[in-house]
Amino acid sequence: MIRTRLLVRGLVLAAAVAAVAASTAAGTPDITRTRVEQALAPTFANLYVQQAAILGIPGITVSGIDASAACDRGGPKVADVGPGTDWICMVSFNDDNHQLQIGKFEVQIRADSTYVAGGPSKIIGLATITDKKTQQDVPNPVFEFDGTLNPDQP
Amino acid sequence: MTTSTTGIPLAPEPTAAAPRRATRRPGIGTVLRWEVAKLVAQARSRYALLVCLLAPIVIVLVFNGQQQTPSDTIYGRQIHTSGYAAPLFILAFGSQWIFPMLAALVAGDIFASEDHHGTWKTILTRSVTRSQIFWGKALTATLFTVLSLVVLAASTIGSSLLIIGTQPLVGLGGQLIPSGSALGLVLASWGTALAPQIGFTALSLLLSVKTRNPAAGVAVPVALSLVMQLVGTLGGIDLTRKFLLTTPLDSWHGLLAEHPFYGPLTFGLAVSVGWTAVCLAFAYFSLRRSDITGG
Repeated sequence: MIRTRLLVRGLVLAAAVAAVAASTAAGTPDITRTRVEQALAPTFANLYVQQAAILGIPGITVSGIDASAACDRGGPKVADVGPGTDWICMVSFNDDNHQLQIGKFEVQIRADSTYVAGGPSKIIGLATITDKKTQQDVPNPVFEFDGTLNPDQP
Repeated sequence: MTTSTTGIPLAPEPTAAAPRRATRRPGIGTVLRWEVAKLVAQARSRYALLVCLLAPIVIVLVFNGQQQTPSDTIYGRQIHTSGYAAPLFILAFGSQWIFPMLAALVAGDIFASEDHHGTWKTILTRSVTRSQIFWGKALTATLFTVLSLVVLAASTIGSSLLIIGTQPLVGLGGQLIPSGSALGLVLASWGTALAPQIGFTALSLLLSVKTRNPAAGVAVPVALSLVMQLVGTLGGIDLTRKFLLTTPLDSWHGLLAEHPFYGPLTFGLAVSVGWTAVCLAFAYFSLRRSDITGG
């Protein structure tokens, strides 16, 4: 009786270990370069429009900004997949003066497909900016922002 | 009393109904009623609900009074700019260990306390079956989990909107979400925690039956959730990660994207249902076959 119970427990444990091993081997990464690029660029553009609205700069639209991102993780030797704090994205966009800008964003990606991105303050401003209407300091929406990748897209 | 159309009481009916009521065997409803009565009398469950009600108000007040933002948790950066961000921040923070603990608080204790107090014999000699006791207790624990989540959600969302305000929310795609639709999304996000919470309740019920120890029944599910949380932060195990019970607690992120996605949400729902079914089945058969001689 005790021996069969031990045997059953051993089998259950072995099956669980095998399932974890198999699913680890069979899994495809949730976090890929394409998904990072396709999440970051439109998110940045949306937030840049909000920054322009706070600063009171007219005529800034998502399509006018035309943001795009080129991302890489940890240099050429590391595969561009998976969570990590070593993702770098070069974001190119048209700024308030319709000049082409290229900013280097540091992106920390968590395993749950959410990320935190921060850009160079030379291009996107300081952590707080002054609201043109109220003349009060408010957080700069593009200075550092949360976002999520879409694991449903290819 | 039933009366006929002429107003004369129908004599035979009460006399016929009375003996039938006396012989009717008590069922799950009876167990449920008793378990709820025990729960209401228990200081721990009452205080837990009181904390669910009051703690969010204190947390929101404290964070609102501070200059710094808890920016290492998602939506922490925005808690000063929108009253819809704070409930999402608390949802993300709470799912780390507070939610599993709430689910385990009653469920981990509900079977093991009978072992602890030696009262199995007392309740099993009543005219209810072991199955009825199992389902009555399981239902009571689930009701507590649902109630605690509802109270926590209502208190968090209510206090955030009152204290911080109803400013538009910035979504996870950088899009500005107007106040009206933000409320719906925040409510839906909290709603997604329901399925994994019921999963944690079932896990705690299983451990309560198996360990026969109230402390282990409450602590082990919390410890397991922390282990799952830790495993979930690792890279390179994306498929394994999807089957963890803690992963569905993150599935609300998709609702707040500019183009919402529901893949993780539906998969998470299936995973929660799977965990619930497996844990309940093991707990049920374990209790049915367990040897209760002591007490």
